[in-house]
Amino acid sequence: MQPMISLEGVSFKYNQSTEALKDVNLTIKKGEWVSILGHNGSGKSTLSKLLVGLLKASEGTIKVDGIVLNEDTVYDIRKKIGIVFQNPDNQFVGVTVRDDIAFGLENLQIERQDMIKRIDTYVKKVDMFDFINKEPSQLSGGQKQRVAIAGILAMETDVIIFDEATSMLDPKGRRMILSYMRELNKEGVTIITITHDMKETIESDRIVILKNGSVLKHGPSNDILNDKETLEKSNLELLLPLELMHHLEQHNIQNERLKKHLWQLSLNG
Amino acid sequence: MAIKFERVSFQYKGIDNKGYLALSDVNLQIDKEGEFITLIGETGSGKSTLAQHMNALIQPTEGRISLFGLKIDSTTKKKKKIKLNPIRKKVGLVFQFPEYQLFEETVEKDIMFGPKNFGMSTEDAKRKAEEMIEVVGLHKDYLSRSPFNLSGGEKKRVSIAGILAMEPDILILDEPTSGLDPLGRNALLEVFHRIHTTLNKTVIIITHDMNTVYQYAKRVLVMREGVLVYDGDPLKLFSRGNIDKWNLDVPDILSLTRDLETSFNITLSPPPRTRQDLFKALEEALS
Repeated sequence: MQPMISLEGVSFKYNQSTEALKDVNLTIKKGEWVSILGHNGSGKSTLSKLLVGLLKASEGTIKVDGIVLNEDTVYDIRKKIGIVFQNPDNQFVGVTVRDDIAFGLENLQIERQDMIKRIDTYVKKVDMFDFINKEPSQLSGGQKQRVAIAGILAMETDVIIFDEATSMLDPKGRRMILSYMRELNKEGVTIITITHDMKETIESDRIVILKNGSVLKHGPSNDILNDKETLEKSNLELLLPLELMHHLEQHNIQNERLKKHLWQLSLNG
Repeated sequence: MAIKFERVSFQYKGIDNKGYLALSDVNLQIDKEGEFITLIGETGSGKSTLAQHMNALIQPTEGRISLFGLKIDSTTKKKKKIKLNPIRKKVGLVFQFPEYQLFEETVEKDIMFGPKNFGMSTEDAKRKAEEMIEVVGLHKDYLSRSPFNLSGGEKKRVSIAGILAMEPDILILDEPTSGLDPLGRNALLEVFHRIHTTLNKTVIIITHDMNTVYQYAKRVLVMREGVLVYDGDPLKLFSRGNIDKWNLDVPDILSLTRDLETSFNITLSPPPRTRQDLFKALEEALS
């Protein structure tokens, strides 16, 4: 089957001296849920900006659904791949919630009737219907982020990138976004989550770890979540139950029931 | 008391002239030194509005605030004679994403900007910059560097050093660790802890991270729909009832402690607040 996204030898330089991404090769299948992890400055956000054509690779090829990303195809590709950023304040372009979502749909030349229907559906989905005529200044950060997500959902893209989209939200907002990811993925949407929060990666199929612009390691989430050495090299933390499990092993404390229990706990988040 | 709120309410005015009550009847006292407080609550609950009252960036529409003896109420703005600047020096407020506010050509100049603005001599401000860069855990070599080539965590530290250089008694930080990787986050939290313990300053952190609340705070304030609904011990905060009522997350350490205690019929005491404490308590319980 044709991959949803493929990167071949992709590099990117912000200026002459610093290479933000170095020779990245990566394939993401249709319907896959992939977490991208890494330290601050590891190239995670650069990667997501390359995927939606906000930045142009210095070298290499990016394909989305078989289409090579370039200046001619970037608008077609944006119909296939949506992105939710970290800071909700940088994403709100409309005068009201309704306008904001309409803006993205107008860019896709969606018919008016369909547009109205989609706005209603997705504003309800993110639980913001009561705020549909409000202006951004009347919304909190978390509420704006939900509007940003509704805007992306309304575009009904094949892929959605969540670029640290939960890092500014309260626990309830975070849980809500996670449940959207889960639901969308079930419906067949390819999900890419960029995060520092290990809890957000538990349900993903695969984890890719970036370090200094290169792929340090990638593999099934269950393997990487338990890879203490790799995570620590990347400024990341093991999930608490797994760290405890490693601690017990290190101190030669044998308790199989406890180990099993901790492993189960970590899988349940 | 350095900060005292008496029946404070604040109403935002929208353009449709419908008011929005962001703070409702808040009573609160905060000490000048020795407090480590976390301020939590859902987005839109009034946390930032509350914090902005603490250094007189905004004034209450009802009720009274006393900030280091200065009385502030709804009439304060109109009375031009009341000088609010000294208050803003005493209560340092670090906004979310302070790194966006760096603008000078060197780190040193950026740190010196605030204190000079408040009338400190260039010489003294320079000395303060040297002192504070180390307090936030960066080497003095950073002073001559451009703030724009620093990592996210380093930029945050520089902006915090800039606030500390004004020698505030109280430091308020609005979501200071959001966006940082775990290593950067832990290092920055240690910086705040050090500011609190070695400089004996009151530190107030606005956060959504319950792990921060549980590991560091001596006192937690919970805001909900403009109302201060909890003011007390972090250990008592995370009862089942409160978690549901206020949409909290259980801190990782507490949830694992509770789970292990029930599943293995053991007691982990004293209640572990850090990962290391938990490991130690478990070892003891198992042996």
